[in-house]
This record gives sequence, C-alpha cells and structure tokens, in this order.
Amino acid sequence: MKGYRKYFLNKLIWLLVTAVFAFILNFTLPRLMPGDPVAAIVARLAQGMSSSTGMKEVYEQYAELFGTNQPLLTQFFIYVRNMLQGNFGTSFSQYPRPVADILRTSLPWTIALQFPAIIVGWVIGNMLGALAAYLKKGFDKVLMPISIFVSNFPPFGMAVILMVLLGVNLKWFPTSGGYGFDLMPSFTWNFIWSVITHYQLPFWSIVIIAIGGQAIGMRSMSIYELNADYVKYSRFMGIKDRKIVGYVFRNAMLPQITGLALALGTMVGGALIAEIVFSYPGLGYTLLNAIMGKDYPLISAVTLIITIMVLLATFIIELLYGLIDPRIKAAQSD
Amino acid sequence: MKRTIFALSILVVLSLVLSACTPTQAPATQAPTEAVTQAPTEAPTEAPTEVATEAPVDANSLPRNETLYFNGQQWNAVVCWNPYSSNCNNAMALAQQDNARVPMFETPYLYNMLDGKQYPLLADGDYAWDEGMTQITFKIKPAAHWSDGTPVTAEDVAYTWASHIKYNTQFGASNKDYIDTIEAVDPQTVVVKAKLGADGKAVNPLLVQAYLSTNYVIQKAWTETLEARTGGDAAAFMADVAEDVVYSGPYHKFFSDDQKVVLIRDDNYWGQDASMFGKLPTPKYLAHVIYKDNAAGSVALAQGEVDVSQQFNSNIQVLWLNYGLPISTYLPEAPYGIGASLPTAFFNKNSYGLDQVAVRKAIAMAVDFDTIIANAMTNQSATFTQVPRSLMNPTPGEQALYDHDAVKDLQFAGKDIAGANKLLDEAGIVDTDGDGWREYNGQKLTYVATCPNGWSDWQAAIEVVAAAGKGIGIDITTNYPDWGVYQTVVTNWPLPETGYDIFMMWSDGAGPTQPWGRIRHLISSEFAETTNNWNGNWGGYINPEADALIQAIPTMTDEAELKAAYTELVKIYLTDIPSFTLMYRPQSFHAVNESVWTGFPHEGDGTNPPVPPLDLTDGWSIAGLYNLVLVNP
Repeated sequence: MKGYRKYFLNKLIWLLVTAVFAFILNFTLPRLMPGDPVAAIVARLAQGMSSSTGMKEVYEQYAELFGTNQPLLTQFFIYVRNMLQGNFGTSFSQYPRPVADILRTSLPWTIALQFPAIIVGWVIGNMLGALAAYLKKGFDKVLMPISIFVSNFPPFGMAVILMVLLGVNLKWFPTSGGYGFDLMPSFTWNFIWSVITHYQLPFWSIVIIAIGGQAIGMRSMSIYELNADYVKYSRFMGIKDRKIVGYVFRNAMLPQITGLALALGTMVGGALIAEIVFSYPGLGYTLLNAIMGKDYPLISAVTLIITIMVLLATFIIELLYGLIDPRIKAAQSD
Repeated sequence: MKRTIFALSILVVLSLVLSACTPTQAPATQAPTEAVTQAPTEAPTEAPTEVATEAPVDANSLPRNETLYFNGQQWNAVVCWNPYSSNCNNAMALAQQDNARVPMFETPYLYNMLDGKQYPLLADGDYAWDEGMTQITFKIKPAAHWSDGTPVTAEDVAYTWASHIKYNTQFGASNKDYIDTIEAVDPQTVVVKAKLGADGKAVNPLLVQAYLSTNYVIQKAWTETLEARTGGDAAAFMADVAEDVVYSGPYHKFFSDDQKVVLIRDDNYWGQDASMFGKLPTPKYLAHVIYKDNAAGSVALAQGEVDVSQQFNSNIQVLWLNYGLPISTYLPEAPYGIGASLPTAFFNKNSYGLDQVAVRKAIAMAVDFDTIIANAMTNQSATFTQVPRSLMNPTPGEQALYDHDAVKDLQFAGKDIAGANKLLDEAGIVDTDGDGWREYNGQKLTYVATCPNGWSDWQAAIEVVAAAGKGIGIDITTNYPDWGVYQTVVTNWPLPETGYDIFMMWSDGAGPTQPWGRIRHLISSEFAETTNNWNGNWGGYINPEADALIQAIPTMTDEAELKAAYTELVKIYLTDIPSFTLMYRPQSFHAVNESVWTGFPHEGDGTNPPVPPLDLTDGWSIAGLYNLVLVNP
C-alpha cells in the first residue's frame, strides 16, 4: 500500500502541474489568435452607422468595457481573480450575457446528448468487437466491413442521411430542434415526448459511428489477447473457456477504458455536427461561434471545463489502473 | 461459406451506400405528391381540432393557425430587450436600421423601399422642413399610446434623443454629427434641429430625415426607470436586459430561450385606431425557431414549419417546381426578389499595378458575372444585362435617378476577354518575357482575390473573379482567411501590399438616404485610408470631384440637378473602377410557405402603398401582417 500512496501522490502532483499549465494556456491561446474581438462586435453594429467618428467611439467604448485595450498580463490577473471567485465573466459575442448563463442553458443539452451516446456506443461497440474476435467466421466477416465502413463515415454524412431518410422522407422523427417548433418548455407529457423524439436522430447519428470505431478497436485488442501466451497456457492447463474469455476481455478493455475516459472528458466540447445538422441545442455550436467571434471568456470557460474534466478523467483512470492493472501494480512495488 | 459471407457483406455495404444516395432521388418523386395532397387535406382537418381542443388545454404550445413562423433573422439566443442597446442579438424585436423592425418598438415613420417614401406610423401626417432646411417639424398621432396605456408624446421623442447623446449609444454616436437637438414644442409637436455648417445650412438633411424612420421612440418614463436602476453608468444603461421595457408596437415578448423566440400580440395596440391600420395584425404570435444554418432553415421551410423565410435558400425555385410545395417568392421568376444591395469587389490601391485604371478595368470586364449570379446566388440576382451596372440598386426608384444613355458606353456586362486584352495591350501592359503573364514596368501582375472563409456565396463569386485572370494574362489566386482576421485587416488602413489585392465587402441596401448613402460609402474619401472603418471605400479611393458631388447631393432639391449629379458619379465610378459590383442582393431574402397563411406580399398584389418583401416586420412591410389570412380558416 505504501507503493500505491507514492503512486497516488506522484499522479496528484502531475495533475496539479498540468492543471496550472493548462490554465495558463487556456488564457493565452485564444488571445494569440489573429483578429480583434471588438472589431467583430463593431462589425455587427456597423449597419446603419453613418458617422465614422461615431464608429471609432463605439469601438473604443467596447475595447474599454472588455479590457482588450489593457496589457495581456493585466488581463491575465483579472482573469485569475475572476476565476478564483468562480466568475467566468461576460461573453463578448453575446454581450451582456454572462458566460455562466450560456453554460447553464447549453451544458445540460450537451451532456444529455453526449453522455448516453458515448456510453451506448462504447458498450455496444466493445461487445460487438469482442464477439467478433471470439466468434470469428461469419459474424466477424460481416461485422468488420460494416464497422470499418461506418466508423469511417463522415459524421456530417451520417447525420444528413439519417435526417433525409428518417426525418424528411419517412417522417418518423422531427428534423430540427431540441423540442417541437410549436411547443414551449413545460413539464407536460406532450413536451417530454417531443424532447424524446427530437433526441433520436442526433443521438443515433453519434452512436452509429461510435459503435463502428469501438468495435474495430476492441476486436483487434481481443484478437491480440486471444493469441497471447497466457491464453494458450490457460488452455493447456484446462481452464474453462468462459474463464479465459473473462481474462481476455479484462485485458483488452484497458485501452478502451482510457478511450472512454477521454471521450467523457471532452464531451462538453459538444457534438458540433449533430448540433448543426439537427439544429440541436448544445455547447458545440456556441463554442464554434465563440471561436469565430474571438469570444475569449467563453472559449476560456469551455476549454477550462474540458481541461478539468479530461485531467480528472485521466487521473481517476490512472488511479484505477494502479489498482486493477497487474503491470502497474508490479511497477509500484519496484 | 466464405463467398456467401463476402457477398452478404458487400450487399450490406451497398445498401448503405444506396440509402445515402436516396435524398437526391426520393424528394423528386415523393415530395410533389405528398405536398400537394397534404397541404389542402391535412390542414383543414388538423388545424381546427388543434385549436379547439389543444390550445386551451395545453397552454404550452402555439396554435399553428394563430402563429406566423419566421427563419433567417435570429441565429442565437436573445440577450436583451433594451432598445438603447445595439447588442441585444434580438432580431425579432430590435433593428434600428434603414428599414427599422417595428413589431415591438416603433419609429415615427416607416420607410417603404418599393416607392422610397416614408409613411407616418407614430407620426401624424408628413414631416415638414422649414424654409432654410434647418429643422424638421412633425406631430405625434393622438391615438398612439404605450403598452402601459399612457400616450406617446413629443417629450418621449426628445428624451429618447437626449438619452442617446447622454449615454453615447450607437444611435447617438452615429447621428450626432448631423442632428443638433430634438425638442418637444408641445405634447404632440416635435422639432428636429439639424447641425448646421459654416454656411448656415444643414450639414446633411438626408441623414436628419432618415433618423425619423430608422430610430425608435422610447418611453421617457421607462428610460427614467432604467436610469435610476443603472445609476447613470452608460455601460450598465446599455447592458440592461430591460425585461420590463414599455413599448408601443403590436407585439411583445412572450417567450425566448436558446431555441426560439416568440412574440405575442398586444390586443390593446393603439394601431387598431382608424388613424393607423384600423385593426390588429392577423397572427396572434410571431415565432422564430433558431436554426443553426441555412440548410436546417430550408428543410423547415419545406416541411411547413416556417411561413416566412428571410434566409438564403439555395435554388429556391426547386421547392415549387420539383417538389410542388406551396412556396413562393416575391417575383415568380428569377431573380425572385428585389435586389437592394451591391456586394462589391474592392481593389487595393496599394497593390502593385492596381493603381493603373487599365488593369482594374480589364479585370472587372473579364469577370463572368452571369456565372457568379448562377453559382453564388442560384439566379436570385438580376444579371448585369437586365440591370446594367451603376451605383444604383435595381429598384425602379433608384434606376430613375441617373441618365442611362449618358453612361451606356461605360457599363460592362462581363466576360469581355477580348475587350479586356485590348485595353491592356493599348496601355502597354503586355507579356514581355513570354511566360504567359503580363508585366507592368517589368514586374509580373499577380494578385490574391479574397473574402472570408465559409461565406460560401462570396467564395463562389471570388473564384469566378480569380478565373477571369487566366484569360487576360493576369495571375489571380484565391485565399480565404477567417472572418476574424479578414475584418481586422480590411477595416484598418493601410491594407497589406499583398494578400488583399481584390477583396469583397458589402454595400448599403435600400433606405431613406439611398442611393446617396451607398455611393458615399463606396467612393467617398471620407472613409479612405482610415482605421476602424466599417463604412466603406476600403480600397482607399480618393477623388475630390466625387467628394464634391457627394457633399452637395443632400442639399439638392431640384430633380434635374440631382439626376445630373448622380449621373456624373456613375460616370466617375465606371471610369475609374475603384471597385466593381459582383451581383445584386435583396435587402432581405423573402420566401413564403402558404400552407397555413396566405396574403403575403407578391409583385402586383394590389396593395397600395405596395408592401415590400421584407419579413412583414421591417419598415412599411409590417403592413403585410394585416393582409394575412388563413388558408383554411
């Protein structure tokens, strides 16, 4: 256990060091992008402005308001102070809307779409991959080409196909929005049902592609493990097939779990394609607009959340590995 | 066995591929029959039952036959309802522009882009200039009242202006060079005093009278509440979300979130008085679902979830010709709408060789504008054969403002490779080293044509501009920077010597100061070589003769004199070619789906004054909301 504590502390220190650097990069990188966020706002206001001096005044007013006319270091300290107070600031592109408000309305949609999609895609994909490796023959021969085809399908294409086939032509599902175009959010069956039906196309457009990718990865890992020496040895020893499959599955799963953790960590970045094609609410499109509009506070807030989630996810995974992976266990005791 | 499995897997893959192809085939065969049979049969059976049973039971849904759906205006969540702010991202309620959006807040006058006139809204009768054209007087309609029941007064108009100035709002900043004060003579009478020049004349009477149809009247009492709340802080004053705002228009906020905005009719709206519309607008709700791109909006329009579409719907005619949908545009044939603005390619005068008029003109003459109009606009623009180029938009009012015969020889329609080559040869700009590209003073002519990345219609146009170079021995390549970079570069002089040689920007559309405002923005040296320049003349063109005419026009009253001045400006523009128009673009795209509502503005619909195709919310087009009727009442 002493070895594990050392392992834990080691990982924790690295987590903190990475977090500090990530925090600095979160602030710096968006501001290194070429272009001027205030110019983007003034561009929006430009219509109908007939006086050039008036335009300059408006520009200076916003530059002052957003602090973009201050030195970068001053901006950084303001940013740190705000973050320590839990204040993400005010969005540039949706001024005067607070960043926290944008996150509050977008995040639940993103998580509700991404989390189940990632989990379902991961579980089904891994099961199919493991089965293909184990059953081989016909199942593998059909599953593999389909998986390769589907996993390489551009997400945009998949979303559009689902929309045109199931939405426009067959009219089974609505084509856009998070709920009916004629409804207002309420705790009624009508509304809930509308949310469920609107959920289907974006959800499956993500899941289908995820299944393919996961299945291919899991299949390769399982085949590798099935041919490993310990499997052969176990067979010679007369250990039951079911038990061996258990070993194989557990070992093949390890890299897949890392992939899952990273996918869950980055999920708040949003399902951009599904959001755009189905006009589905969420953070992905908001983030895209923020990047286009150089909306530093919003970009920093979203990337900070992603950074923290990825760091935590990898941290947790590494801690779990320390417990479950015999190779890491062995390394600790060295 | 192996073969069977192989064949099976091939079959599965093929079926997936084929299903991917269905979108292009299926609608052509299915949609027409579905749409034609559905529209008339479904609506009558469904709509009444919905209204009768669902509406009262489920207050959380909008009855389809009481709601007019829009798209193309609102692309993100609404941020605020504050008419002093220019940053509310509230396209359904707030747009103080040439054709001001007036469902919630109202202007004294409504501009009608079809006849170029300003019609009274809050104002009672026409406005009048004094003899020396130094001030405008108009009256407020006695019937006009606010949503809280108090009357709209001249004091409200005056206080609105005073607040714009006090807090340096965008609307104050853009007008204070031209308007001195706005005063209330009595509760009904407003006097707008123009800023006077050294000669005792108004600096710009055109912009003074434009204020009357572009800027809202905001209630004094509510403004004072806002001031008290924000303690005189200008930033807070403009950043207030103003959920409690008092308005005078027929609609107000009902609901808004990240996915839609809904306005509901105020049944106490003053405009039902006989002195204005005499009745309430037909739809009870105006709703705008927030679509994330044009494609999603187009699908919704085709599905009947949108009644009025203001976005660019590529190949709009396909929706009725191929799919038989009850969708139409203002004009039944191409260009389908009324062109109002002139998306323009500017020449950077700093770029090597582009200071030579022969080079500029040759490039412009060689461009295949018909292809641009067919590709970039899917023919939703008049061609330059139909409407020869000038500085005017295609509206009859503007076209009548210049002498067509006088500039006929200068109006090129494009794709004139032989003419362009001849021009260059005559100017001595030839290929001296035999590499196929022309040189000017020994240096090869090579340019980059550019526009923002992702602006697909502009990119299509810029590609055609670049292609024109090949035929005339000028090497033109394309580059598409991110908009954030692009805008920072083109709005701040000096432009780089390379990379932004030929670049696209917009021009003004239709409005009470047009075509003067557009011409000023395109060629006035007022904006040449400036920073933070969102007005125009981004190429840095300077011509004192043009400046003098632009300065003189706002004070001209004699029509013949005005026409001569405009003709001269067109002549200068087409001779010097500091920039050239690539297409005509409507003020707003306007397509309507008539499966639920009908009575939308169409050319020759018999309305008088004619209702322009502008969303039924902008300027005089709001009159169209009173003409709507249900397809199946």
